[in-house]
Amino acid sequence: MEIRKIIFRKEMKLVTLLLTSLLIASVSAATYYSMLMQPRVTVSTPAIKFSQAPDNPAGSTINNSWCRLTAKSYPNATLTYEKAVYLNNTESNTNSFRLRHVTITPTNGTAEVGNWTSIKFLVYNSSGYVFSLNYTVNSNNWILQPSSGETSYYTIPANGGWWIKLETLSPATATIGNICDIQISVDVQE
Amino acid sequence: MILPEFFALLSIDVFLLLSLLTCLLEDRFPKAIPYIYQIAALIGFGHLLVSREFLTIFGEYMRFWYSFFYLLIALANIIAVNLYLAVEKKLWTLAKAWSGVITFPITVISVFFVSNYGYLQGAQFPTLILQVGLVISAIVMGVSISIFLSPDLLNKLKEVRR
Repeated sequence: MEIRKIIFRKEMKLVTLLLTSLLIASVSAATYYSMLMQPRVTVSTPAIKFSQAPDNPAGSTINNSWCRLTAKSYPNATLTYEKAVYLNNTESNTNSFRLRHVTITPTNGTAEVGNWTSIKFLVYNSSGYVFSLNYTVNSNNWILQPSSGETSYYTIPANGGWWIKLETLSPATATIGNICDIQISVDVQE
Repeated sequence: MILPEFFALLSIDVFLLLSLLTCLLEDRFPKAIPYIYQIAALIGFGHLLVSREFLTIFGEYMRFWYSFFYLLIALANIIAVNLYLAVEKKLWTLAKAWSGVITFPITVISVFFVSNYGYLQGAQFPTLILQVGLVISAIVMGVSISIFLSPDLLNKLKEVRR
């Protein structure tokens, strides 16, 4: 049989087309898969967001994902912001979060620390107190409660609204005008 | 999650299927047709490569429309081959088989994926599409069952026309 006839036989054509088809289909699928695996980062509303509450300290800034509370502290009197800021679960499923201490100034060992007795961040829901992250002073040192500086994770129900109650207290000997900056992280497990 | 390029991938497979089928039925088609479909599938592959390279530049809207347009071309080719067999070649049995085994299932699969993609993307399809789709499906199923149960029905209809 001539080579020319073999090449143009129907079976040969079909086998050739089948092989090229397999090749095209597999490389196309691999290309699509590589596109599917490309990471994508979409800006979205946080699962648990901060929002305005009735007792926001004056001058505070509250955004969805961060807030800055500019609270006061009075010598020898406890100042309470009953609902300083809301923590709202924006999703229709439960989410867990905790409070974690990041930084505080004045730092331990400096005399300025003695201008405060306690600063407490207490988390409440409609049923009452849930947990807290407290800063108390003992001879120019900050004592954290819990001592690890981070609370356990607590589950906020779907679309639930919890809030932070802020309590501050300074000793009678405190100097007016001293400032304490605290940075706390709200860690959310989505 | 479905990317818009899924429609291009589906179209490539449709072109490859057409290529193999037209090769199997080579006596009924021009000799070059299977190779033309292979080239069409290769163009689809090129299309996927371009899409991947310019993923961030092309918006999802644009990517959907050019992938969807490519899918429409693939579907149009399936229907064109069906019509070619029925009208040009007068191969009624083959055309019916092609319609039942290739044209109808692939059209249904394409509609399913397009509507699914639209649903995931939050696109609002008119509610009428569902009703129209159900009516068409019911008609096709009814006609198919009638022909299946009484194969002479078509011949009888032809005689009535004459």
